[in-house]
Amino acid sequence: MHEIHTKTCTGVPVEAVKCISGFGEISTDYATYLTDESKYPGGKAEKLFFPRDESELSAVLKKMASSVTPVTVAGARTGLVGGCVPLRGALVSLELMNQINQVYYDECSEEWRVRAQCAVSLSELNRCILSKNFAGIEKHGTEEITAQLARFRKEPYNYFYPPDPTELSASLGGTVATNASGARTYRYGATRNWVRRIRVMLPNGEFLDIPRGKYFASPAGEFIIYDSTGTPVHIRTPSYRLPATKNAAGIFTGPNMDLIDLFIGSEGILGTVTAIDVALLKREEKISVIQFVASDEKALDLVEALRNQKAIPLDFLELYSEEAVKLLRGRQKKDPKAVGMPPIPDHVGAAVFFEFSFQSDSNSMDYSAVVDAVGRCGTDVRNSWAAYEPRELDRFKTFRHILPETVNGIIAERKKQHPGLHKLGTDLAVPDNHLREMWRIYTKKLHAAGMEWLAFGHVGDNHVHVNILPRDTDELEQGLELYHELAFEAVRLGGTVSAEHGIGKIKTPYLKVMFTADQIRQMRDIKHTLDPVGILNPGDMFEVAS
Amino acid sequence: MKIVVCVKQVPEIAEVKVNPETGTLVREGVASILNPFCEYALDHAVRIKSVRADVTILAVSMGPPQARAALMRCLELGADEALLLCDRKFAGSDTWATSLTLAAAIKEAAADFDLILMGKQAIDGDTAQVGPEVAEILGIPQITYTVDMEISSNGKRLSTRRECESGSEVVTVRMPVLVSALKGEMLRRLPSFAEILAARSKPLRTMNADALSLEESELGLQGSFTQVVKVFPPSARKSGQRVEGLEAVDAARVMIEFLRAERFV
Repeated sequence: MHEIHTKTCTGVPVEAVKCISGFGEISTDYATYLTDESKYPGGKAEKLFFPRDESELSAVLKKMASSVTPVTVAGARTGLVGGCVPLRGALVSLELMNQINQVYYDECSEEWRVRAQCAVSLSELNRCILSKNFAGIEKHGTEEITAQLARFRKEPYNYFYPPDPTELSASLGGTVATNASGARTYRYGATRNWVRRIRVMLPNGEFLDIPRGKYFASPAGEFIIYDSTGTPVHIRTPSYRLPATKNAAGIFTGPNMDLIDLFIGSEGILGTVTAIDVALLKREEKISVIQFVASDEKALDLVEALRNQKAIPLDFLELYSEEAVKLLRGRQKKDPKAVGMPPIPDHVGAAVFFEFSFQSDSNSMDYSAVVDAVGRCGTDVRNSWAAYEPRELDRFKTFRHILPETVNGIIAERKKQHPGLHKLGTDLAVPDNHLREMWRIYTKKLHAAGMEWLAFGHVGDNHVHVNILPRDTDELEQGLELYHELAFEAVRLGGTVSAEHGIGKIKTPYLKVMFTADQIRQMRDIKHTLDPVGILNPGDMFEVAS
Repeated sequence: MKIVVCVKQVPEIAEVKVNPETGTLVREGVASILNPFCEYALDHAVRIKSVRADVTILAVSMGPPQARAALMRCLELGADEALLLCDRKFAGSDTWATSLTLAAAIKEAAADFDLILMGKQAIDGDTAQVGPEVAEILGIPQITYTVDMEISSNGKRLSTRRECESGSEVVTVRMPVLVSALKGEMLRRLPSFAEILAARSKPLRTMNADALSLEESELGLQGSFTQVVKVFPPSARKSGQRVEGLEAVDAARVMIEFLRAERFV
């Protein structure tokens, strides 16, 4: 079926919605709402709304549409590309829509699911799932819903929500809007793979209820949405092919695509996700290993060896480049306790960080595939750190954060002399078979330019975050040019300009690197069809005409 | 040279929660870990082993079957073998019954020990009594609150640095001796994946009450002189008041009024 009808909300007056008026008050008392984790500057809004439910959100959107006022919608503001920084008009913070409504077993797919409002944070969601303690459901749930919760509690297994973007204060709705991914995307895929149903509010204040597997594009690549007056809106799915990589750039498309996927990852420019059903997975014991190797080349050897062995599926596969390890070792030498780990041995070049299922109370498991893969790369598993207890895994998590934190510290120090300075972090990914070539391009170009740089991150998905650390503003300019060149190279190799951060306002120029003018026009057409006046999240994904 | 390290598995709790209805600790969702002070004790043993090839380390714990996990952690971190004292008859032991049981097990399994290491205390009971009691029962010297130690080259004496109220003391003692340990300068170890795998092939034995030369009346609840009658959370502290948004003189005035009203001045 490729036709769907919108639904309407109970009418409430917009005056009933909590609202702060005036840029003066907003910029004084609500200044944090004018920016996000990206620190994108220049946020400006004349109104700041806090809707409590869909009806209130609908009232705000209808009012803004009638007055042709741009609306920027914000979740937890953890994005890295300025997506929820308002340029003008109204800002809607969804933070009050933060209830977990239901946990239920879907008999058809034989999986447990959670239904939640968009502003529930990932940390709250995970905490509730792990503890099986859902205070909101107990308090407000109907008899049937509380019975489902009781059944969930009786389950002999523990469960978790697999998408694991590093920033757990992110809102669930935000992660759906951006198709957030992270380290464990290597095993479990991005957020898209775990979303089973969404409710999405269109710019006209009416919403769509879209379960996965019900609405598919027609053979001609079309969806028809009927609004409450019965007027049809025709949406043509774009004809381009997306890269065979993790990708967060552009609007999703594909033959016979599911309507739900049009909205997931569309960065909120087509509608606002208000409620989500997500699938859960049984939790297994895991072991994390940081395996030291002699060099970057050996690290890539190990990445390939670990990917090629199929006996032990890895949850994630991450890199610490030689320069990254050097930086951490230097920090450890200054303060042995800063890194919270034993000293990194002097002979260590680079490191590969990975995780897989483990049974701590059994010695009957066969881990030889991992041991052998490591052995083929000029080292052995004695040259590693490993952890499986939650307390020890937390040490690894902290260790993971220390590298970007150290980089940020260096840049902050340099900023004192060069105020405009910032780090340049790439978000490029290429297909599996081009990992080495892309790595050669990074090293060749960055070394030739004499830049200070290091790399870490999701090497399993060929998605390494290269961090360029400019020493002055000249190097910043040079770094920006290099960034552009690297983006071109990634696309040339069939990759993406943004594997996980998205486009937002900051990376709009890179969309043009990856897509032709005609392909961008196809995206804009969809946007225009659903948001003819262009009031929703202006400046995101596409530059606004000045 | 034989070093025995006595360890305990404890709940990983940053904040103790007590069920007000049952008066018992809330353990749901709380992981069990090797008591941190026991890990420090083991670390001292492993450091000694790293400079003396003749050292073997035996980790001993009394607890339920799941306490194997704490011993497994010891094996991963460098212990050579482990012994779990596990029997329903041990249930309800206070520090005395625990010490008696541990001492009996050490006599049984490692009578030729040179050094017994223990953490200063467990983070759940916080008594710090078991180490000194085991030393008394075994009739050997004890050095508590130790942060550093070194064995003489002839392997007969142990030189330690212990913390005391006025600073630190250096104490040298002829072995065998029992030492209770603090963290000192250690950086917590991380085993390699190889060590984690190897630990699973190291000997981890279980011993029950029948293997000990103790009467049943000396074990568990029966052998305990003390009993926990009630567990309750401390009453919640009121949060303080902040004086904000005033000039210093006015703020001082508000604070003085408060102190007077509360009869502090």
